[in-house]
Amino acid sequence: MKLAPVDYVILALYFAFVLGIGWRLRKRISSSGDFLMSGRSVPVWITSLAFIAANLGAVELIGMAASGAKYGIMTAHFYWLGAIPAMLFMGIFMMPFYYGSKARSVPEYLKMRFDEKTRAFNAFSFAVMTIFSSGISMYALGLLLHLVLGWSFDVSVLASAAIVLAYTFLGGLTSAIYNEVLQFLLIVMGFAPLAILSVNKAGGWQGMVARLPPNMTHAWSYMGSPTENPMGVEIFGMVAGLGFVLSFGYWCTNFLVVQRAMAADSMSAARRTPLIGTLPKMFLPFIVIMPGIAALVLSKMNLGYNFPLKATGGPDYDQALTTLMAQFYPAGLLGVGMTGLMASFMSGMAGNVTAFNTVFTYDIYQSYIRPGAPDRHYLTVGRVTTVVGVLLSIAAAYLATRYNNIMDLLQLVFGCVNAPLFATFLLGMFWKRTTAHGAFSGLTLGTLAAVLTLSSTTAEGKGGWIANLYTFPSQMAQNFWIAIIAFSVCLVISVAVSMFTTPRTDKDMEGLVYGLTKVPHDAAAKWYQRPAPLTVIVVILLLILNIWFR
Amino acid sequence: MDLRVPSGWFFTLVGLILLGMGAFAPHMGAAPLTTENVNLYSGACMLVFGLFLLLMAWRAAHSAKGSNP
Repeated sequence: MKLAPVDYVILALYFAFVLGIGWRLRKRISSSGDFLMSGRSVPVWITSLAFIAANLGAVELIGMAASGAKYGIMTAHFYWLGAIPAMLFMGIFMMPFYYGSKARSVPEYLKMRFDEKTRAFNAFSFAVMTIFSSGISMYALGLLLHLVLGWSFDVSVLASAAIVLAYTFLGGLTSAIYNEVLQFLLIVMGFAPLAILSVNKAGGWQGMVARLPPNMTHAWSYMGSPTENPMGVEIFGMVAGLGFVLSFGYWCTNFLVVQRAMAADSMSAARRTPLIGTLPKMFLPFIVIMPGIAALVLSKMNLGYNFPLKATGGPDYDQALTTLMAQFYPAGLLGVGMTGLMASFMSGMAGNVTAFNTVFTYDIYQSYIRPGAPDRHYLTVGRVTTVVGVLLSIAAAYLATRYNNIMDLLQLVFGCVNAPLFATFLLGMFWKRTTAHGAFSGLTLGTLAAVLTLSSTTAEGKGGWIANLYTFPSQMAQNFWIAIIAFSVCLVISVAVSMFTTPRTDKDMEGLVYGLTKVPHDAAAKWYQRPAPLTVIVVILLLILNIWFR
Repeated sequence: MDLRVPSGWFFTLVGLILLGMGAFAPHMGAAPLTTENVNLYSGACMLVFGLFLLLMAWRAAHSAKGSNP
């Protein structure tokens, strides 16, 4: 694939706009709160789109199209089942505690609700994970641009990192959030035509249904047993593992997304952020997954379209999106599509970097390295951390080029760290009897349980370093079950230890726990500004989508 | 800063570039599987979207000025 001069013009125009936004916003920064938390002043439509854009990195975009080709419409469960219910729960039930507690980050909430050790555990593991996620995303993008366009890996990685650094350094979180919205709109504009063109060419949805095995075009009908569907999962693992533990763990406790909602200008806006975000989110599968399924159909239609082969043999689904662009996009629109891909990478990376610098500055530096300094000092630390965060991400990207397997391993480690978290938050927010020792022992033993499950079971030849007690039908099933086990262990241990340790007094937990916090009822607000009617609309739409693609 | 202004300008400009490509160079860098003039259609959509954002931003700025002279 070769880009024409007009494509480069569009790419350059986009770079100019993202840098320009950073430049314009630099004047709004006068305190560490402005830089790291946007001064809690961002309008709700912006936080809502940023909420879903920060999660729409290059790895997700490329991966979702690839999964579409590999698993069919079941991939949409990562949105319909694996995101929307958790986002609704976050907006309705959890946001009042995050926003109302005045915590500046998720680890800081844990410190306020529990104690220092729980905060430290969460802050350090989160900081390491954001750096590696950002590095892996950078690696994936560099590799793809090299493979597809023949661009130098070093130049694409360093240049895109430099641009992200420039606008986050200038305008802090506000700049990252504002750019995420522009990037989100660009991703939609850049990939919607691809979805329309490729699905049309594949004969429309009905044509695709006719040309594919039925388990590729039904989201629910083939989940009775793992052997019936391409993902190799059964309905309980899917609903409990992905739909409950993993998705609630991610959308309700991951500071990367929670930070966007916390930047909103009022409690009501913070609560509506994930709720409004669900509306575009539930239709994203049509743009990011459908092209992958269409690519599979097209490869069977003798039109001259085929998936490139991997070095190890077998089709390289990761190239579904870019090969489709080469087939369907003329010069001009191709530039928009490639710019959309770059935009997804940047929004993912800026999301990680801005979450990293906030957690490092407030939860690590201010807590353990130098407490009690004037705010100007922390603003400087925030800015320096942004530079360090980008440099560490670049290092992580190069580490991934050297040790290819490190990516697989890290993804499994992330799973182990994330899996038990939701149990800790659920108990912490909704059961005031939960004690700090209970939460910490639940969290650590839950993580340990995840690691042990991973090391004593195998799936697709991976895992099982200690023993092989059970073989899962697929890695996906293994991930879901690790999450279920880690969550259950965390829940049981936290409850058990809490029963034998002394809880804090009610007065200490005001604003932090359900029952001791005044949850706002926006009775005076217009109907579309209230959480309940919004939720009803979302649930109805979600049901329609799931019934349609059942 | 009203984000609708830079986003509006961005999509207006990209829309104009694509419209120009679609109108004056419909066969340049053509794609193997596409027969329609997709630059023209997508460009028109982006232009309309960009102008819509600019109009919304202009209206918001206008009404803010009116209420706070």
